[in-house]
Amino acid sequence: MKKEDTVKLISAEGMEFVIDKEAAMVSQTIRNMLTSPGGFAEAEHGEVTFPEISAVILEKICQYFYWSLQYSRFGFFIFYFLGSVSCFFFYEFIFGLV
Amino acid sequence: MSAQKKKAFQIEAFKHRVVVDPKYAEKTWKILEHAIHEIYNHNASGLSFEELYRNAYNMVLHKFGEKLYSGLVTTMTSHLKEISNSIEAAQGGLFLDELNRKWAEHNKALQMIRDILMYMDRTFIPNTHKTPVHELGLNLWRDVIIHSHAIQSRLQAILLENVRRERSGEVIDRGLMRSITKMLMDLGPSVYQDDFEKHFLEVSADFYRLESQEFIESCDCGEYLKKAERRLNEEIERVSHYLDTRSEVKITNVVETEMIESHIHRLVQMENSGLINMIVDEKYEDLGRMYCLFRRVSNGLVLIRDVMTSYIRDTGKQLLTDPERLKDPVDFVQHLLDLKDKYDKIITSAFRNDKTFQNALNSSFEYFINLNSRSPEFISLFVDDKLRKGLRGVTEEDVELLLDKVMMLFRYLQEKDVFEKYYKQHLAKRLLSGKSVSDDAERSLIVKLKTECGYQFTSKLEGMFTDMKTSQDTMQGFHASHGSDIGDGPMLSVQVLTTGSWPTQPITTCNLPAEILGICEKFRNYYLGTHTGRRLSWQTNMGTADLKATFGKGQKHELNVSTYQMCVLMLFNDADRLSYKEIEQVTEIPTSDLKRCLQSLACVKGKNVLRKEPMSKDIVDTDTFLFNDKYTSKFFKVKIGTVAAQRESEPENQETRQRVEEDRKPQIEAAIVRIMKARRVLDHNNIVAEVTKQLQSRFLPNPVVIKKRIESLIEREFLERDKGDRKLYRYLA
Repeated sequence: MKKEDTVKLISAEGMEFVIDKEAAMVSQTIRNMLTSPGGFAEAEHGEVTFPEISAVILEKICQYFYWSLQYSRFGFFIFYFLGSVSCFFFYEFIFGLV
Repeated sequence: MSAQKKKAFQIEAFKHRVVVDPKYAEKTWKILEHAIHEIYNHNASGLSFEELYRNAYNMVLHKFGEKLYSGLVTTMTSHLKEISNSIEAAQGGLFLDELNRKWAEHNKALQMIRDILMYMDRTFIPNTHKTPVHELGLNLWRDVIIHSHAIQSRLQAILLENVRRERSGEVIDRGLMRSITKMLMDLGPSVYQDDFEKHFLEVSADFYRLESQEFIESCDCGEYLKKAERRLNEEIERVSHYLDTRSEVKITNVVETEMIESHIHRLVQMENSGLINMIVDEKYEDLGRMYCLFRRVSNGLVLIRDVMTSYIRDTGKQLLTDPERLKDPVDFVQHLLDLKDKYDKIITSAFRNDKTFQNALNSSFEYFINLNSRSPEFISLFVDDKLRKGLRGVTEEDVELLLDKVMMLFRYLQEKDVFEKYYKQHLAKRLLSGKSVSDDAERSLIVKLKTECGYQFTSKLEGMFTDMKTSQDTMQGFHASHGSDIGDGPMLSVQVLTTGSWPTQPITTCNLPAEILGICEKFRNYYLGTHTGRRLSWQTNMGTADLKATFGKGQKHELNVSTYQMCVLMLFNDADRLSYKEIEQVTEIPTSDLKRCLQSLACVKGKNVLRKEPMSKDIVDTDTFLFNDKYTSKFFKVKIGTVAAQRESEPENQETRQRVEEDRKPQIEAAIVRIMKARRVLDHNNIVAEVTKQLQSRFLPNPVVIKKRIESLIEREFLERDKGDRKLYRYLA
């Protein structure tokens, strides 16, 4: 993967997840972070830190991004994916309301 | 994850961490406030989006959304106030520049703020029905800056000043204007309209009112129209470059009203350059321009059409009542055709073939052609002239063109039956004297008349052609069988005419010379031999003869004369001088015809084969005639006949008119009977209307005449009056 096509998502513990930009942009919030004008730090360095999201959750989230990209055309009901209770909170945080 | 053995999987609502810190909201807000400051001060780089987003999110989550929102409003407002001051401080030309720049910056900042506060935008605001962040930013901009006292009037003044400068020819920064107007439109359509458009339209109206007044005093019509067109195009271009497209209709309306509509009458009637002058001088470009411009204004075209129509009617009327013109019918009709051509050209090239103008032209022509009751006769004479000699050497297409034009004039005639009568007369003369230039042209015209008026109209005319053809065949047969008998005698050529098809001629007496009588009898026997049960009568007033004459010094000439003239001249074989009375006695030709024929033999220079004593112009009973052996002529063949179609003299005209009126009576009666048979009962007015409608393709019946015919029918018991209502009529079977 080329450097320009990727973003780094950093969890609370400091674990780094490097994923495709396209995958990350599934989240409207992350999309805004990366495309907002004005030169926020995230867009400048291509890194987003989530001090309140644990690595386990963040990993699941990254997996979701790829799953979503793959299956988005079938319009799967999103909730089928989530297996964890705490995910609901972060879902709202990251994705806003769908 | 807790171990759940065989229990069903449950999802519990997440329990948020409870906030204990009382100053939590204040602290979080401070972070955000600081961020907003930095954004407005262009120091945003280095801030963490995630941190700010998380803080805003937390505030809303912990029910501090209200504080966040009001804080946002306050902060933004104070920043905008600062910006307002800096814009106000800008001098002169830099004002717009500064405003534009600050607007762009504000937009960028607003977007960043909205991105950070996205969560509030999506949850808190819909729930509390507050204005979303982006809209809030625009509203604040509008209220604090655009509607600030100092800036509002200054902005308006500068925008309008720029437009004024551009109208007087200066170049302005269109891009900047574009950005500013776009800003006004983004702030809301009412802002654009109230703050700018309304005043723009007012000022423009004043400007054009003044300018149009100036122009109309100093320019003629054509120039003025050019200027108006230029200004109109300018405004359209202006809108496309830096105004909202919806303004186009409004500003063009203003220009149209001020420059065109308010001066419309003055323009059309301008002396030496108004509409009439343009038509007379055939200024197609100017006329086209006037058409396009006036089209935009209500009733503009109506005015042009009306003025043009009354002008055409006046010129037409003049033409038709001018006695000079009416002396030469051919010339007169040619003038009509030229007039029509001229206006057709104007309508096609300048008025875009507008149907309403075509109709107006047609109705005008119809109006004035029928003003002169002799128009049908003249048109027939024109055709006669063309078919005799005018079409010699003309190509087939041109012939068709001319005939089509004639048909067009024919259509305008109201009294088509009068035309029919004259046409039959003229055609008869043409056919019998063999003077028609082109048989194809004749037939082509007949076909056109048939298409226009139906079979009835042309059946008799076609009959005439058939007779001519049949006569040719008969003559061939006659010469084949009697050729040997004739020898040295005169050569006879006969046309047998069916009485019904040809114009009715009164039977005249005429004693043919002995030499002729013989061969005439031979032909009569031959014809009646082949066609039994028919009656032949010689039409001596329609024939011609070729005589070989030898004069005093032995010069020989061939004379082409009418039958009457032949009878008279043959008498001089036996006598050198004869009195009028003697001639009359022997030939038994009717008086007026005899006088005319003697006149052309004795009184016309170059054709006076007879001498008259006394040498006066008119023929009197006491005159004596002598053979003129001193007669000379350059030509061997001399034509003395008087058979060409002439414009009728007044008494002849009256006569023809009367005959036409007589013919109309049975037609009207037939129409009345037809209508009553179908309707059974009908009142007077309706009968008149129906009869007029039925007969209008042939002529326009006079209501008085219709009334007389109804009464005549009542007398003859075809109709009866209703006992109760005098105006009602009933059909009697």
